[in-house]
Amino acid sequence: MTAAATTGTAEPATARSRAGNGPARRSGTSPARRRESRAAWILCSPFLALFAVFTAGPVLAAFGMSFTDIRSTDLRSPLAVGVVGIENYAQLLGDDRFWRAVTNTGIFVVIGIPLTMACALAAAVGLNSIPRLRGLFRVGYYLPVVTSIVAAAVVWRFLLQPDSGLLNTALGWIGVDGPRWLEDTTWALPSIIAMAVWRNLGFLMVVFLAGLQTIPNEVLEAGQVDGASRWQRFRYLTLPLLRPTLLFGAVITMIGYLQFFEEPFVMTQGGPLDSTLSISLYVYEQFGFGNYGFASAASYVLFVLIVGVTAIQFRLLREKG
Amino acid sequence: MITNRRARAVTLATAAGLAASLALAGCGRDDATDAPAGAAPSEVAEGAAEGTITVWAMGAEGEQLDAIAEGFMAENPDATVEVTPVPWDAAHDKIATAIAAGDTPDVSLVGTTWMGEFALTGALDATPTDLIDETAFFDGPWSTTVVDDTSYGVPWYTETRVLYYRTDLAEQAGITEPPANWDELKALAEGVQQSGAEWGIYLQPGSTGAWQTFMPFAWQNGAELVEGEEFTLDTPEMVEALEFYNSFYAEGLAPAEADVAIEASFVDNKVGAFFSGPWHMSLIRDAGGEDGTWTVAPMPAQDSGTSFVGGGDLVVFKDAENRDGGWKFVEYLSRPEVQQEFYGLVSALPTTSEAWETGELAEDAMLATFGDQLEDAQSPPTIPTWEQVASVIDAEIEKVIKAGLPPADAASAIQAGAESIGTGN
Repeated sequence: MTAAATTGTAEPATARSRAGNGPARRSGTSPARRRESRAAWILCSPFLALFAVFTAGPVLAAFGMSFTDIRSTDLRSPLAVGVVGIENYAQLLGDDRFWRAVTNTGIFVVIGIPLTMACALAAAVGLNSIPRLRGLFRVGYYLPVVTSIVAAAVVWRFLLQPDSGLLNTALGWIGVDGPRWLEDTTWALPSIIAMAVWRNLGFLMVVFLAGLQTIPNEVLEAGQVDGASRWQRFRYLTLPLLRPTLLFGAVITMIGYLQFFEEPFVMTQGGPLDSTLSISLYVYEQFGFGNYGFASAASYVLFVLIVGVTAIQFRLLREKG
Repeated sequence: MITNRRARAVTLATAAGLAASLALAGCGRDDATDAPAGAAPSEVAEGAAEGTITVWAMGAEGEQLDAIAEGFMAENPDATVEVTPVPWDAAHDKIATAIAAGDTPDVSLVGTTWMGEFALTGALDATPTDLIDETAFFDGPWSTTVVDDTSYGVPWYTETRVLYYRTDLAEQAGITEPPANWDELKALAEGVQQSGAEWGIYLQPGSTGAWQTFMPFAWQNGAELVEGEEFTLDTPEMVEALEFYNSFYAEGLAPAEADVAIEASFVDNKVGAFFSGPWHMSLIRDAGGEDGTWTVAPMPAQDSGTSFVGGGDLVVFKDAENRDGGWKFVEYLSRPEVQQEFYGLVSALPTTSEAWETGELAEDAMLATFGDQLEDAQSPPTIPTWEQVASVIDAEIEKVIKAGLPPADAASAIQAGAESIGTGN
């Protein structure tokens, strides 16, 4: 946002607000300005057209579909479907599996986000204070973000294998008999959370690292001079100054985690006994079954959920700022 | 971070519904468009095929189809066959999108479980009875093309499930004959376990596709999945089959693990028997299984010895530009000698009984077992909602095995689930 204020885009905006005052308004739209605004529309139009066709259109279409009983067998005559009102939504809210998916997603978000953020912040603070090999570690932590989930899933499956996996072998050395991680209804979701934390940690770490580097050293030195301990400097100086970055991290992670899909999709297919079924996976399944209307309704519930939780997050993290 | 795969399905569905949202107020179900069935198939013009015939085909079959098409083009010099190989993963969505856009090829390979859905869109041409002879095909594979009493394609290749078991371990336990009924199957599982197999048998304990392993037991016990328009999934026969299936786990004969590399386990004495399709013969040989230590046998019979049948059907689309040429190509592909040639290329099992009467398919004893099993093999009902009903069956089987749900309750839950899903008509 600060970057935008320094660029030329702010210029016409102030000009317009000046022109928009009082009787000067009509005469203010000089031919030059009109040409300018026409040029602006022309420059915007490719994006607007693409946005309308590929984003806004489908989003609105899906909204419309969620009130119909459209199925995959209606492909040739998508208009000849019955309007069922909110029946899809009612049916959705009455489906135990959907609530199971909501619960799983909730657990994933509530445990996963703080965990990911704490790990990422710890890694960022650590990296920020070591003078050497910073680049190497940064690459190390960031690597999972750019690794294909399919490749990562294969490795994690090996790690978590009950009989010969690295994790259970290591646990065996200290005399612990490890569970069948991905086939156990208690451990499957925690395993998936652990994998998600590992995958997304790197991205947040880079963001936090950038945030940390914007904190002026003078502030921290001043704290040191005043006799604040390391922990106090972190708690009362670094953290408050980092709040906008933390907010950004929390929102981005939350939007991603509410839609968590790939981990259970490649690792467990939602099993065992639906213990890793997420809302996105549920929606995907319904589209796969050809229940386009019902699946659209489920997507919109997820959408509303994301908007709601994001709004709450903004309030919570902004207040003290 | 966490999106793309889902986006594909969403895009497809939204494309189909784009117009729907714009004209919501003016729309409603029209009974006529809902019932594409019933129209008598029109005839195919006499003589050789002409023009370009576009074909979509998936998997290894799709890659090898060009070679087969050479023979057709030699027979019909005025015709050109253009084959587009499509990966299986993308095939369903690609065909669905083509149907929505009215821009289909002339001919496509279609997975047997998709037939109900695509036929009900009204996009498939009914099989011309003057060109294709139903009696040449096995009943099981043929039934996969029939939706609401009308056939919409031709079974091209098939697969069916049989029992694989370790003969060496069985002989140590004094079992020399393949199991003829359920009791003998149980005895076989106990026998091979006593002779050193960690588990007597492997049956899929839930998760996607478990119904394919379970359903033969239900059929063998005389259960029907659908009668008329009604699901009959909680009959006593079904409950009994579920109880029998679960008894292998309850008695410690089968592992309740979904993630088992079956062919390696089979060779390494971890699993003494399992049910699968023809592809496992080469997998077992590749895993080091020596001939003579194992064999395949037909399904054990209870009321019947029914197995599961799947595979691929060839369909011609109503929007086809070269419909007659398309059917002529399909007819060519379903000739016994062409099916044999095709078996030689990709080991896809033929669907016409005549193709099994000569050559390698008749001479190889193991292969012949599959041919015999095809005489008694069923496919799931060709309804568009079947995949969803099947997922309920998968889930309930898993609950019985892993969470101790009584089989009768599971059957009731399957029935209730299926009824709320409906037959999609």
